[in-house]
Parts: sequence; structure tokens; C-alpha cells
Amino acid sequence: MRRVLAVIPWIVANPGQPVRTVAARFGLTERELLDDLNVVYLVGLPPYSPDALIDVDIDDEGRVTIRLADFFSRPLRLTPAQGLALLASSDGLLSVPGTEPDGALARALHKLGASLGVGPDDTVDVHLGDAEARVLEQLRRAASEGTEVEITYYSYGRDERGARTVTPWRVFAEAGAWYLHAWCSRAGGERVFRVDRIEHLEARGTPSAHPAPGADGEGGDGTGTGVSVFQPRHDDPRVRLRLSPDASWVVDAYPAEVLERGDDGHLVAELVVTAVPWLERLLLRLGPEAEVVGQEGLPEAGELAARAANRILQRYRLG
Amino acid sequence: MVNKLERLLNLTAVLLATRRPLSAEDLRDRVEGYPPPGPAFHRAFERDKDDLRVMGIPIRVERVPATDPPVDGYRIDPADYYLPDPGLEADELAALHLASMAVRVDGLADQEALWKLGGVVDTGAAVAEQAVTSIPIDPALVPLFQAIVDHRQVTFGYRGEDRTVDPWRLQFQRGRWYLTGYDHLRADERNYRLDRIDGPVTPTGKPATSRRPEIPAGGGGPQPAWELGDDEPVPARILVDAEAVAGARRQLGPTASEEPRPDGSAVFTVPVVNVEAFRTFLLGFLHRAELLEPAAWRHDLVAWLESVAAGAPARG
Repeated sequence: MRRVLAVIPWIVANPGQPVRTVAARFGLTERELLDDLNVVYLVGLPPYSPDALIDVDIDDEGRVTIRLADFFSRPLRLTPAQGLALLASSDGLLSVPGTEPDGALARALHKLGASLGVGPDDTVDVHLGDAEARVLEQLRRAASEGTEVEITYYSYGRDERGARTVTPWRVFAEAGAWYLHAWCSRAGGERVFRVDRIEHLEARGTPSAHPAPGADGEGGDGTGTGVSVFQPRHDDPRVRLRLSPDASWVVDAYPAEVLERGDDGHLVAELVVTAVPWLERLLLRLGPEAEVVGQEGLPEAGELAARAANRILQRYRLG
Repeated sequence: MVNKLERLLNLTAVLLATRRPLSAEDLRDRVEGYPPPGPAFHRAFERDKDDLRVMGIPIRVERVPATDPPVDGYRIDPADYYLPDPGLEADELAALHLASMAVRVDGLADQEALWKLGGVVDTGAAVAEQAVTSIPIDPALVPLFQAIVDHRQVTFGYRGEDRTVDPWRLQFQRGRWYLTGYDHLRADERNYRLDRIDGPVTPTGKPATSRRPEIPAGGGGPQPAWELGDDEPVPARILVDAEAVAGARRQLGPTASEEPRPDGSAVFTVPVVNVEAFRTFLLGFLHRAELLEPAAWRHDLVAWLESVAAGAPARG
């Protein structure tokens, strides 16, 4: 029914288009479209005499025309959810660095906003993440060509910077940042990098020996969330934390195994430590809300937070 | 036998064509395919009305004129039903299609919206764009958007209080949805995190009374986490070491001011609303940054660090 109510007005407004064209436009097979039109023949107003029924005509060359459908001459309004989804998608794509600010999408968004009765461009504002347009563009080009790029990357988790040769596979946005899923030659494996921590980039144009898996990009759900931003390895150390109820978000934010749920809301969870500075920052941030209660492969785990706090405190005591 | 699709289409056509509200009995006479008068008819008619409403077809219920006792009548006002033509060119429709594939809105996006706008146009140039992201939705999102469109006031629970708000703007930043609006309880503009709204968002039935301020050009960028909240901003001054200055500048954004120092380090002045978010940001620099002012916050931060430094040793 939804489909019929959208197809009729379009055919009314665009008479004489081939059945094939109409079907393609609405993602239907010709058979499905003809079945829909067969029902439309029987629709009209009382007394349902021929002059009060919708007139569907398909000529010898398969071109379709609809008449006498005044009441269906316009499609149904967008529901709030549909309007919101279209505005959010469009504004989100427009926020991608490097998108033409006055292109077709910007014009479409402006017109759509006006017809929905909201402020032209700013009622729904979607920001996917900051990145340099040039870097994003070069990464995407290398990903589509299957070539290598040379990057200088600041690893926030490890608190170190270094040069790497990587083969970009896919660029995606998640939780407010842009990420690159790539083959890293230095690590000899796939890695996920934050695009805004790529400090320098040089496209080499060298074909890579490690193209993206799958002929046309990623498998999975195709939404960019198929790849986890955190990629623990088997031999990474592990730490067990006792988290107060206020710190329970930690188990949703990082890969964690919950070992115990207390009646008072506390949790004991095991987390993979991909880098020591990451754990230091987490413990500094959580303060009294977290306590290290066990570790595997990281004997100093229990001392880390105190040592990091003392290192910072030195500044304050000098000052 | 009249099939259900045909009956629903005829019902919609009759409701759209009528100027006066029609009673259920009137509609039974006019629309083919209903059972004879009686409970079976009423069940079928109620189901049809529900089906149309689920599709977003706006059926008005009005009293049939000159009835006593009053009888409910039904009609569809064409002004409620018809989509105003946004006048999209083919390339603009194609761009919308591309955008809805590239940036998915979880659980909201559906093909029907594009059908209504005229289907999918193959411009040839539009190669299938890979999805670059998917945006999660929040239960409060659609009711708030509806209220913005209708210029209506809403009420909801937030941080333990019932707020009455004129919603102005929805923003998606850092993976979360935020609302900006005029808070009648605080008598000022406020930001809210949608995932912290307690319970449902309910229209008060009153129109929004405040005027939304113009958004400055280029002011559409994301706000840092420490600027979000419903308290007054306080200026904080931080000293950042030379090696971390570039990163700090990028993260602090345009609302911070910067005084460079001869050794390459810099002092940044930052308007802060959410102290905890700011502390998290600052601790991210480890020993490469220092909070200078306000003195009280510096004192609190030192106390925080001292408590961590004195923390219980590992038991494991």
C-alpha cells in the first residue's frame, strides 16, 4: 500500500514512461509493478462507475499513464521519522571533510528542510568526526586503488609516534571520529587507526600485496561497525578491575568480560590492556570508582595509577 | 471478493475526497468490501483505521454535523496528507539516495521516504557509495523532532527534575545525540544529552514561546564534551607542554584562546561547563599539561590525584 501510494502520484506526474523505467525507479520487478497497477484499476469513488475509477493505461509499447486519480496526485507526507532520517543522513554526509558545500546534496538538504518546515540547514546537525579532507581523500583513493601509503602516526594508547607503511582498506566514522581499517606492514597484520592522529601522509601509489579482503570491500553489515576499533591480541596482558556502579560504562566502552555483578551494583571485569598508557589514563579518570584487583602479564598493574598520579603531581608541587 | 489493499485504497480515496466527516456507516455504504453491519464490520473498520494510521495517514475524527447524540465522523484533510513538493532536481534526489546509503540511521531509514520523493534516480555518476557509518537513534529523538517541526513545547525528566523545554535543535556529536532548547525552569538556553532523558518526552500542548537564536555561520561544528551541560561556563586556564600543543589546539576547538610561550608551550583559556569531562580531557595529557585556574579546581584536581596516588595496592 505504501508503495502504491508513492508510485501512483509519480506516474500521474510523469505520464507515458515505460513500465521498465518506473519499476527500476521504485526498486520493483515489472511483475510487481503490474500487480500493483491491477489493483489500482479497481480504485475510485462511489458509485465506482468507469468515470469515477482510476484509469490506468498501458500502451502497446509498455508505456504507462494514470488518469482520474486526483485524490492521489501527491504522495503522502514524510513521517517525522522519515524526515529526520533523511535530514540526519544528508547532514552527516555533508559533514564529511571535503564534501562540496554547495553541491547537489547541500541543495537537496536545503529544499527538504524547507518542505518539512524546519530551519533550512541547522535543525538537525550531524557531525561524524574531524579529519583533514586531504588525508581522508588520499586514504579513500588508496583504498579503492589497493595501493600503499606511508604515514606518521601518533598512537594515543601507547603514547608514541612512528612511521608505518599501510594499505588502506576502508575509512569509516564511529562515535565521533574517523577510522582507517588497514593492513599495517610494520605490525604484519590488520590494524585500525584514528585518522585525526595521522600526522603526515604520503601516497606511494605502490600496489599492495595485501588488498582488502573480499572483492568489493568489506563483508559484515557494511556499516563500518563490522570492524572493532579495539583489536586485542591473544598475548596482550589482562587486568581485573572492581568498578563502582558509576564506572560500569567501562564494560560497554571497551572489550571486557564481566566476572561478577554485586548486589550493590558493582562489577568485577577483566579488560585487555592493549597499551599501558591507555590503562593509566583510564584509572586516573576513574579515580576512586575503580580498583585493580588482579592481572595477568602485567605485574605492575596495581601500581600504575599511583605512579602516573605521582608523575603528574610533581608538576603541581613544583609550581 | 475485494482484497484488503483495494479496500484500504478506496477508503483512503473516499476520506480524501470528502469535505464533511463521514460516519462509519457512511463509509460502509461507500467503500466496497466491508462485512454487513454489526460487530464484524466494526472490527474490520477499526483495523483499517489502525493500518492507515500506522502508515502515517492522518485521519481526523470530528463530530458528524447535526447528530444527537454525537456521532464520530472521519475524513482526511488533504493539507495533512499531501507532501509539499520540495522540487528536487534529479541530481539532488540522487544525492539524497547516496546519503541515506552512506550514513545509515539505525532503525529509522526506510525506502518509503525515497519512494515518496520520487523513487531512485540512476544518474550513472552515482557509484554505489559504501556505508561510512551508522548513526544510533534514541527513543526521544522522533518526538523531539516532531515538536521542533510543530514549534511545540515538550516536557521530560532530566537530572531528577521535570523540565519544560522549547526544543530548537538536535545535534549528533561524538557518537551521541544532544538537544539544544530553551529551558523554562532555568529560563535560559540549555543542552541535554538524549540518553540522560528519563522516561518519555511528552508534548505539553502549548506552542513554543521562545525564539531560537540565529546560529552563527560556521558555528555548526561539534561542541567539546566539557562545554555541554546546563550550568554556567567557567573559564579554566591550562598550561600545555610544547610537544602536546598541536593536539590540544585541535581538541580544544575555536572557543579556547591560546597564549604561546617562548619555549613552545602554551596557556589555553577554555570555557568549561562540565568539570568532570574537562578533568578527563586534561588527564589524557598525563604529565604534559597542568591546570592553572580556577584555584579551587586546581586544588580539587590535586586532591583527586593524591587519592589515586594513595590508592590501595593490588590484591591480585
